[in-house]
Amino acid sequence: MTGFIARRLASLVPLLLVVSLAIFVMLHLGRGDPAMDYLRLSQIPPTDAAVAQARADLGLDRPLAVQYLAWLGDAVRLDFGHSWVTHRAVLDDLAIFVPATLELTAAALALTLALALPLGVAAALARDRWPDHLARAVAFLGVCVPNFWLGYVLILVFAVGLGWLPAMGRGGLSHLLLPAIATAAMSAGVLLRLVRASVLGHLSARHLLFARARGLPRRTVIGRHVLLNAMLPPLTAVGLTLGELLGGAMVVEVVFGWPGVGRYALQAISNRDFPALQGFVVVMTLVFVLCNLAVDIAYAWLDPRLRLGLAGR
Amino acid sequence: MPLPGPTSAWPWTLRLGLAMIVLLVLATLVGPALLSADPAAIDPAARLQPASAAHWLGTDPLGRDLLARLLAGARVSLGAVGLILVLVLAIGGTAGCAAGFLGGVVDAVLMRTCDAFMTIPTLVLALFLIGLLGTGMTNVVIAIVLSHWAWYARLIRGMTLELRQRDYIVAARVAGGSRLAIVRRHVLPAIAGQIAVLASLDLGHWMLHVAGLSFLGLGVAPPTPEWGIMISDARAYVWEAPRLIVLPGLAILLTVMGFNLVGDSLRDRLDPALGGTEAL
Amino acid sequence: MHRRSLLILGSALGLPVWSRSGAASTAPTEARIAWPFNVGPLNPHLYSPNQMFAQSMVYEPLVHYTEGGGIVPWLARAWEISPDGRDYTFHLREGVRFSDGRPFDAPAVAANFAAVMANRARHAWLALVERIAGFDAPDAATFRLHLRTPYYPTLAELSLPRPMRFLSPAAIPPGGNTAQGIAAPIGTGPWKLERSIPGESDIFVRNETYWGPKPVLERLVVKVVPDATTRALALQSGEIDIVYGTDLLDAEAIARLGADPHLLARSSPPIGTRLLELNSARFPTDSLAVRQAVQHAVDTEAMVHSILRDAEPVAHTLFALNVPYADVGLAPVRYDPARAAALLEAAGWKLPAGGGVRQREGKSLVFDLSFVGPEALQKAVAETVQGMLLKVGISVRLVGEEPASFYARQKSGEFGMIFGDTWGPPYDPHAFLASMRAPSHADYQAQRGLAEKPEIDRRITAVVEETNEARRREDYAWLLRALHSSAVYLPISYLTNKCVQSRRFAPMPFGATQSEMPFEQLRPAT
Repeated sequence: MTGFIARRLASLVPLLLVVSLAIFVMLHLGRGDPAMDYLRLSQIPPTDAAVAQARADLGLDRPLAVQYLAWLGDAVRLDFGHSWVTHRAVLDDLAIFVPATLELTAAALALTLALALPLGVAAALARDRWPDHLARAVAFLGVCVPNFWLGYVLILVFAVGLGWLPAMGRGGLSHLLLPAIATAAMSAGVLLRLVRASVLGHLSARHLLFARARGLPRRTVIGRHVLLNAMLPPLTAVGLTLGELLGGAMVVEVVFGWPGVGRYALQAISNRDFPALQGFVVVMTLVFVLCNLAVDIAYAWLDPRLRLGLAGR
Repeated sequence: MPLPGPTSAWPWTLRLGLAMIVLLVLATLVGPALLSADPAAIDPAARLQPASAAHWLGTDPLGRDLLARLLAGARVSLGAVGLILVLVLAIGGTAGCAAGFLGGVVDAVLMRTCDAFMTIPTLVLALFLIGLLGTGMTNVVIAIVLSHWAWYARLIRGMTLELRQRDYIVAARVAGGSRLAIVRRHVLPAIAGQIAVLASLDLGHWMLHVAGLSFLGLGVAPPTPEWGIMISDARAYVWEAPRLIVLPGLAILLTVMGFNLVGDSLRDRLDPALGGTEAL
Repeated sequence: MHRRSLLILGSALGLPVWSRSGAASTAPTEARIAWPFNVGPLNPHLYSPNQMFAQSMVYEPLVHYTEGGGIVPWLARAWEISPDGRDYTFHLREGVRFSDGRPFDAPAVAANFAAVMANRARHAWLALVERIAGFDAPDAATFRLHLRTPYYPTLAELSLPRPMRFLSPAAIPPGGNTAQGIAAPIGTGPWKLERSIPGESDIFVRNETYWGPKPVLERLVVKVVPDATTRALALQSGEIDIVYGTDLLDAEAIARLGADPHLLARSSPPIGTRLLELNSARFPTDSLAVRQAVQHAVDTEAMVHSILRDAEPVAHTLFALNVPYADVGLAPVRYDPARAAALLEAAGWKLPAGGGVRQREGKSLVFDLSFVGPEALQKAVAETVQGMLLKVGISVRLVGEEPASFYARQKSGEFGMIFGDTWGPPYDPHAFLASMRAPSHADYQAQRGLAEKPEIDRRITAVVEETNEARRREDYAWLLRALHSSAVYLPISYLTNKCVQSRRFAPMPFGATQSEMPFEQLRPAT
């Protein structure tokens, strides 16, 4: 297992190098003159001398390759410099906002699994009967509904209408429930369909026929053979779902006044605060990659073939 | 692509989805002409009026007709999604065909680039790009295109690679046909069907992306109403006039449903094993 | 009813119950207010991210500004001005101590002035700093300020929340330049910053050794709540006691909250002006007739009623009448679309057959209106103005951008019409007028096309050095009349601070400026 994790970690290095290069290239092609933005945010009049000084301070007068290496060196140490707006280290700022987003993402992931796994299995087992139709209709709605709008509908119904749950802010479990539902709707819908399809696929598999033929009761067959095996493919999809959940959380945050990293990014966008913006993209990509790594490890733990490097042979 | 399978050629989901989309497009094209109200005509005296004969869905805080604004918003949303479709296919198609057909260094560079773009979560990448380019509907479209092209490039490369081995293409190459001509004449037609199905599945997804980014205030282009912006603008009125939030959201929901019904049905036809809705 | 079902649900699930907290009958000893940001490191000599209201809670000025332009003693109990207007002698209040126990004396004042002057370029926007030739402390209770030229708004600028306020010399870094950071936020004010939790809150406690009337409350918690809708909800649920500021709540929310029996909503006297500026240096607003037509075509009263819900008074002139020297009897420009149309007709702008947008010599009557895209209020005003102008045949293109691009347009003059607020007291009128001479200000750009612009700039420069009160009044009258008749400004409303607060507290008094929030005077309801 340790070997597997080490191999996967090692394989991340070239990938992250390419990602860093892509981010650096976009940063350089996309933004206008960062020296001007820097001066504006620092409220320094942009005289020629001030611009030249700012370019030197920001290292913009060095060759591109040197700039990239310097940037990469800082990025590896998670040093993105200081925000031009808050004047605090970007990493310190992110350390405040990212956990809130991760909390919401984790809650939404838990909700996704709690909804999609049982409902998906139930739908497959009751194929073409009403529970199946109902589960699929709900999944379809979940896939189609705009998450931020669902957030408002939930607020209108459960906070304004019924007064059961707080409408906004971060706090205990009660504050987490509504935003987590809004964030999870899409992924729950997607995952439910995958689980259902996977269970259906395994139900018709040949070894099942044998098992049934051996006279094993249906319940045992389904429990032991179908569910365990059928959970593997959807689990890989959880990794992809994480990106969706993370993105969803950042939009839903705005609806619920959740103090997460989405708000930080929006602020950086409106101020053209580049250090904050690049810190945001690098850290969130790292979070995403590491979460996917965790999913891979969980997957390998469930499926020994993968762990031993036998997959695909 | 001939497809065997138990599903009928025109399942009811496909028909319903198509009907919804056609209806929406018609309403967008004809509606404003039939409707006397101007989506931009403000009337402070008629603010926040409930539904009436004059204003079928009532008015917004500036006294503008909500229905007229919803219809005008449909144009923006559909236009943006259409543009995204064209651009994603153009960029993803070019990169995919080039990588698959040319191979070698081109393939390696393009695929590593794809890896990078697919490693950054889509919304994070979109926010980053808008941060660099500035806000506005055009940049929202660019951001969504750049955060999605890689998936298509990957897929199309795979299909191209597979086709490359087919006899008739090998024959065309041996006969000395130019690579571009081969791609145009043989490769593109062969993969067009599958790509169309996949794209139809993504239309709804892109629609949600556009609405979400507009809602965040990144697609600002007033006074053109856009559904996501309309919801964002109505936030302060969540108590006084919840319909200002509910109705644009329903519009998005129904449109995405239309796209997804069509996409799911087509996908089921293409590959029933993928197990989508299999007709609700 | 809602609260009861919530309690049941909450206790059933074992959740922390969300309800109107702190409804206990005992008198509150702390107040919780909402603000969009953390208050910052509270460096008295620097700007963003330090929040002005919080700087004012901890640090104090030599003199205090009161509504209408009055100046009253504060850390200086008296002062003399030399006849040539260049020397100011301040007699410091005795017995004042910084919250670290150090005495507030003339050397401390001088050390703070030295810190400001060490970072002079940063304060160049402030005319007073530019004019300081020297200062000294002849004895422990006397501070003298020497100016290069006379400058009548000296006392008003000394009252500003920054940079001329006083940090304990113990907190000034070695070398004396506070721009490099301060050791701790230690001032003489009624409050002390106890701690800051980034992204969550800042907690202030009463300064028990304060020289003046001590705050009634022991603690003030400033909660970070970035979203207006969330702030309104927090007030409603009782998680917040007070929201005080210019645009912290949507007008619609203020109207709704004001109807809540637990809450009280009020607006302050005018503390600034919301304006649209018309560019006199660009086609087609370079024509006086077009600018006047725009003024007549916009129904400001209807707009203020429908968008601001009458939380602010309608503005008819550049400055409100409570601004010093502003009461010069300017005639308001009334809403009169017929007159607007007549002005345009007379200037040759004809409606094409079938209506629409007016044209002259093949050119359409079209210009841009720039605003900050994400700001709901500006957007609503922009859309309303667009609709009203279209009714008289003027077409407006709305340009809503992120703040960075918006401010770039203010500087470059790339606008037909743009939002621009006055700065409010104590900057109005002198400092706001002074900024009209700087090309990097929207006002300069908007006025650039006026024939009388050189004369306007000359008088603005002269008026602040004028030591004769009557002549100064005359100069201001000329300036305000010239700007009024140039039709460069379309005043919308007089900005007010809105205070929505819990009725557990007595009505909170309003400060005289935008940033002065007298929480030290806040007391429980009786």
